[in-house]
Amino acid sequence: MRQPYYFILIGVLFSVMLTAQENKPVFSGFVRNYTGILTKDMDQFSILQNTFNLNVEYRGHKTGFKVNPYVYQYFDKNIDFGLREAYMDFYSDKLDLRVGKQQIIWGKAEGVFITDVISPKDLSEFLLRDFEEIRTGVTSVKLNYHSGNHTIEGVWVPAFTPTLMPETGSIWAPKLSFPINPTWDYSTANKNLTVANSEAFLRYSLMSSAFDLELVGGTFLYDDPAMHLTKQIDPVTRQLTSLTVRPDYHRTNMAGGSFSVPVGDLVIRGEGAFYDGRYFQTVSPTAADATIEKNFVHYMAGLDYTLGGVKLSTQFIQERVLDYEVGMNNDEVETTMTFLAKKDFFRERLWLELFAYVGLNNEDALIRPKVSYSVADGVDLQLGANLFTGNTGRFGQYDDNDMLFMKLKYSF
Amino acid sequence: MKTIKLLATTVVLLFSGVNMMNSQTTGLQVMQKVYDLPSGKDTQAELTMTLINKQGEKRVRQLKQYIADEGSVEKKIMYFTAPADVKGTSFMNWSYSSAKDDDQWIYLPALKRTKRISSGSKGDYFMGSDFTYDDLGERHPDEDTHKLLREETVDGKPCFVVESTPKAKGHMYSKTITWVLKDTYIGLKREFYDPNAKLLKTLTIKNFKKISGVWVILDTEMKNVQKNHSTTISLANVKINQGVPASKFTERSMTMGQ
Repeated sequence: MRQPYYFILIGVLFSVMLTAQENKPVFSGFVRNYTGILTKDMDQFSILQNTFNLNVEYRGHKTGFKVNPYVYQYFDKNIDFGLREAYMDFYSDKLDLRVGKQQIIWGKAEGVFITDVISPKDLSEFLLRDFEEIRTGVTSVKLNYHSGNHTIEGVWVPAFTPTLMPETGSIWAPKLSFPINPTWDYSTANKNLTVANSEAFLRYSLMSSAFDLELVGGTFLYDDPAMHLTKQIDPVTRQLTSLTVRPDYHRTNMAGGSFSVPVGDLVIRGEGAFYDGRYFQTVSPTAADATIEKNFVHYMAGLDYTLGGVKLSTQFIQERVLDYEVGMNNDEVETTMTFLAKKDFFRERLWLELFAYVGLNNEDALIRPKVSYSVADGVDLQLGANLFTGNTGRFGQYDDNDMLFMKLKYSF
Repeated sequence: MKTIKLLATTVVLLFSGVNMMNSQTTGLQVMQKVYDLPSGKDTQAELTMTLINKQGEKRVRQLKQYIADEGSVEKKIMYFTAPADVKGTSFMNWSYSSAKDDDQWIYLPALKRTKRISSGSKGDYFMGSDFTYDDLGERHPDEDTHKLLREETVDGKPCFVVESTPKAKGHMYSKTITWVLKDTYIGLKREFYDPNAKLLKTLTIKNFKKISGVWVILDTEMKNVQKNHSTTISLANVKINQGVPASKFTERSMTMGQ
């Protein structure tokens, strides 16, 4: 278990709940068993996880709160207890104020993070976690001003939270290649709780008959670390004698937007963002610590369509490094596509779904077929596979991690 | 235009008393009377939809629904309250008096995002029920050719019996036959025929009541006679013309679930 002060917060919120004068608090959540095996070795579990997820929500006329504690229990590591969200709401006719740990989701892209940069990602299982679990909550203050279907949203995040990466030894730990075994220096990885390290975001959104629109901007510490390398070279032999890796998180500014528009039976979606300064790894000899700062754009165009009862969706995504230099680890342009096909049978009792990420640069992919069956109202059984193809790239690096899985979920 | 009268109004049939027609009554006149009946400026209701399979097993869906007629546009929002795995989901539909397609959005609490969805699939079944989106809507009489077949009584109540055939090709029904009460112009029963002209489904009104001056259908059943399963819809706590604010039909409202 971690961070026992959560219990204090829960106690305070429950006290508020018990003295609430208006509506009753609502309890909901789920219990889930998630079992996966690796296909390369059918004798080896890739995951054996039991989850309890509880939502306690109270919504009065002017105030409200939500607490979302969760527990992950594994067969091979310590129990993981945490709070995905714990916030209070204050409402008025035009303004909503939300204070506390919360998930904030922006943009129109699905399964891709372009302007959706406020809530850090939980990549401890790569991109395989369910949508509501792949984003961690972030302690923040969010103020919304509403005028009809126009909304202006401001977010202030006082404390930096990085992307949650897989643990060392995990099958999902990204492959890092160093010429010698490095020494890790985390002196700059933990950001002090200072105003200078805080983050701020602004969004304007519109929902209209013709189109939906979001315009966003933010200044924040990028959630993924840049790895600054310090090399010691023997002056005589010219051999590398030591290597120090210092992860650091750097401030970047982002501006972008997204839209969705209906065109006949289609819905066309788009999203894009410009990042003013992001750090990339490089082997260029002119980069003293193997990093280089470049501007960066990330954009997506997508289509949603229903054909013969099959819900279809595709997205074309590009990441482009501006003023690209030879030696950078990233490609100048990296292109990814996503595909989704989903259909229900037996009056929404059985669902077949196929979702895939396809990396065009490295010809790699993550293919996720899934069958879901509603055993009873609120009880779902899922059988599926996560299949990685290719040898390199974002997905190909996990080619040995093909897995079959079963999830049994009871929602209440 | 095709106004999708999701649920409630669905079965909607909110009809006031109308004068008896004379012997020259045509099928079109009957269906126009049905279409023209007032449904109130706004409606609120709690809706329970029960899916019953051929073994008699039941699955229950519950939601709250708000509808407002804003003149050229009719807005609806639905908040799903049960079962647990869809609780917190909301669905909004804006339907236009012009030929413009409906606008539709869905909010999924797991995604924490409001998503615009295509309104093109009106032949899809709503939430796994026996009602298509089109069934739940108010079909304009001009979209069909109507023929008054006969007059007969149903449960002792005199009715017009009207056959309606879609003018457009490729419609999911080859025809419908509707029994319309002669005194109130409530559609009491409707048969739906598949493209092969075989009876597919039967809609039956079980209970209706006058609320705030308009007739409201409270209980209805749609039975698929080919697959032998059915869906019932019941309305409770129905409020007519109580005032539903424009702010109810916004992204904020979908997100908050109220």
